[in-house]
Amino acid sequence: MNKKNVIWWTGIINPDHNEKYGGFEYMEYSRKSWEFWCKRNNCEFVTFTEPIEQDLKRFRVNWQKALFVFDELEKRNIEYDQICLVDSSAIVKWNTPNFFELTERKFCGLRDTDNMNWTYESIKGYQKFFDFKLDTTKYINSGFIIFNEIHKNVLESFKRLYYDNIDMFCDLQDNIVKKGTEQTPLNYWLQINSVDIKTDLPLPFKLTHLHRKDMFSYNWQLKEDNTPFFIKYGYIWFFNGIPKDQRSKIMKDTWNHIKHNYDDKYTNVHNILNEVDHKDTAKYTTSRKFKKDILDIFYNDKYKDATILELGTSQGQSTKMLSRIFKHVYTVEWDDWNIEQAKKRCTDRDNITFIKFDLYGKKWELPKADVVFIDAGHEYKHVISDINNVVDHLDNPIFIFDDYGLPPGEVRKAIDEKVTEGVLKLNKFIGELPEDLVHAGGTQFIDKEGCICNLR
Amino acid sequence: MKNIVFLMNIKLNDSAGRYTPERSLPYEYSIKSWKRWCDKNDVELFTLENLIVPMDEMAICWQRYYLFDILEANDIDYDQILMVDSDTIVHPECPNFFEMTDHKYTGVHNEGSYDWILRSIENYSKHIFQGRELKWWNYINGGFQIVNKNHKDLFSAMISLHNNNKENFVYMQDTYHTGTDQTPINFMLQINDIETKILPYEYNMMDMPRKEILNENLTMTRVGWVYHFNCIPNNKDNQATLYWMKRTYEELYEN
Repeated sequence: MNKKNVIWWTGIINPDHNEKYGGFEYMEYSRKSWEFWCKRNNCEFVTFTEPIEQDLKRFRVNWQKALFVFDELEKRNIEYDQICLVDSSAIVKWNTPNFFELTERKFCGLRDTDNMNWTYESIKGYQKFFDFKLDTTKYINSGFIIFNEIHKNVLESFKRLYYDNIDMFCDLQDNIVKKGTEQTPLNYWLQINSVDIKTDLPLPFKLTHLHRKDMFSYNWQLKEDNTPFFIKYGYIWFFNGIPKDQRSKIMKDTWNHIKHNYDDKYTNVHNILNEVDHKDTAKYTTSRKFKKDILDIFYNDKYKDATILELGTSQGQSTKMLSRIFKHVYTVEWDDWNIEQAKKRCTDRDNITFIKFDLYGKKWELPKADVVFIDAGHEYKHVISDINNVVDHLDNPIFIFDDYGLPPGEVRKAIDEKVTEGVLKLNKFIGELPEDLVHAGGTQFIDKEGCICNLR
Repeated sequence: MKNIVFLMNIKLNDSAGRYTPERSLPYEYSIKSWKRWCDKNDVELFTLENLIVPMDEMAICWQRYYLFDILEANDIDYDQILMVDSDTIVHPECPNFFEMTDHKYTGVHNEGSYDWILRSIENYSKHIFQGRELKWWNYINGGFQIVNKNHKDLFSAMISLHNNNKENFVYMQDTYHTGTDQTPINFMLQINDIETKILPYEYNMMDMPRKEILNENLTMTRVGWVYHFNCIPNNKDNQATLYWMKRTYEELYEN
């Protein structure tokens, strides 16, 4: 059985709404982004582009996407694990982490607190029909929900509810409440059926109403980076809450700004991760998450011509992965046996230079590079020495550090000291949290696994 | 030991600056509402009426981090303390949020203008916090913070941070106008790995106009519990704040 996580992407064109939406060109940008993300994260991209019920007035597209999802997946013989239902008004950022890993296998939704007057009126409007007091702090947006097989029954009964009361729902929707389509009824139905709803996915995964949130802006005070905030800080951008007839233009402009990141050659993350070992089985390397985080940050056009200097080859697990990302890897190791193992591991790579060098016993004579990965000596004096040498000999590189949280904390002490001195700027922690790190040698970390400094 | 609600009710006569005498007029409605809520929930209300240090040495918002010294100087024993802004009104039926904290540092994520929030984070990161990154989605509003004795060291560290960087903070405040203590406390929480609990928006409803709930129907009173009357447009001399706080108080407590 090959069960994959599924993106259930709704892109049904309703010709009656062509004018209202200023065309449906926007869907193609959403679609391209999700196709890319699925390839990169080994998920199945499944489109819902032909309605099941042809009367789109009585069966609005938004209703159909929720009512028929399980029927369609089964009809198409798609083995699914978790399913993410997403609207075609959303673009996913190229390096968005795999949110399926954050669900705890619960029904996940994004709390809708953008226009609370709208949600209040909508909830009030349907209250009499459902005769139920809704917990508004659990009210979710239905444009991005994640669920799995255990929620099949509740969505099946939701379908029956709709068919049994279709005239009433159409009247409420079109004439009485006039606040949305299936979203509020779905919220009532989930709560009535005591579905455990997880609403706390981090905000970057749910950037709705970008205009209302002032996220089209950038830091005009520092003037160091004019990337719009939503692109810089968000993962999933929902182009709602803006005039619908402007959606295509805004999404097109966005796409043109970022499309170079969605190159198919960057989709094989899964394979890259699978060809090397990780910390849970090999103690002298990093965790899978550490490597995935590096891929998320560096495996794109921006760094394709960059070079990296790795201090501490060990047995070449990370070296091999780095060779998939960077144009050239210079990797430094003192131990002959380690070098031999690393070379064996990387025989199929032609962009690695192995350098036998004693980092702490000789005058620094190593190549320059754009990025440096420090994972050699783990005593305080070693890390300080590595940082000082890199600062002295390389031109403002990006630093990647492994083992920030390794006990007793000497790596951390050295990095923190350099941050406090203003030599390094700590940008991002990467890898596992100490409580989540599975170490083949049984070591219990005291802090995060790694970090990145001076990221440009 | 009781829980405490701590408010600052400091009347200043900075007629040329931000703290005009009119600014504090609406605070009476805040204090009255919190008094009623405290009485109902067996909580003690403490209002600070005077500055701890002159304003030119420390901006008024920063002075709340003397909280533990203030309470101890007044012989007040305490369990948890809510530090809440004086431009808030609490609904009389608001659940007792002290019971929701798990005894952690508790706040409410600052929803509103992320242009302001993210600029503030980037500006303070560059000038004060050595370029550190902040998990911006955990960023809390400074106007509703629940703390307990475990957080004394953190507050001492906040005061030290301020006093060691006094000129830098004045520069930040005067140059960028992206807040005073709020972004620094967020950095300090994350740098010091303080365990936090985030309550829903309903417990500190900031920037209500943006969410279209500050209106003549007082919709906000139907959808949440603590109303924070900030970010109100066209608010000369705090007149709009006064109008909305008076109306809200009368609606909830006098009708």
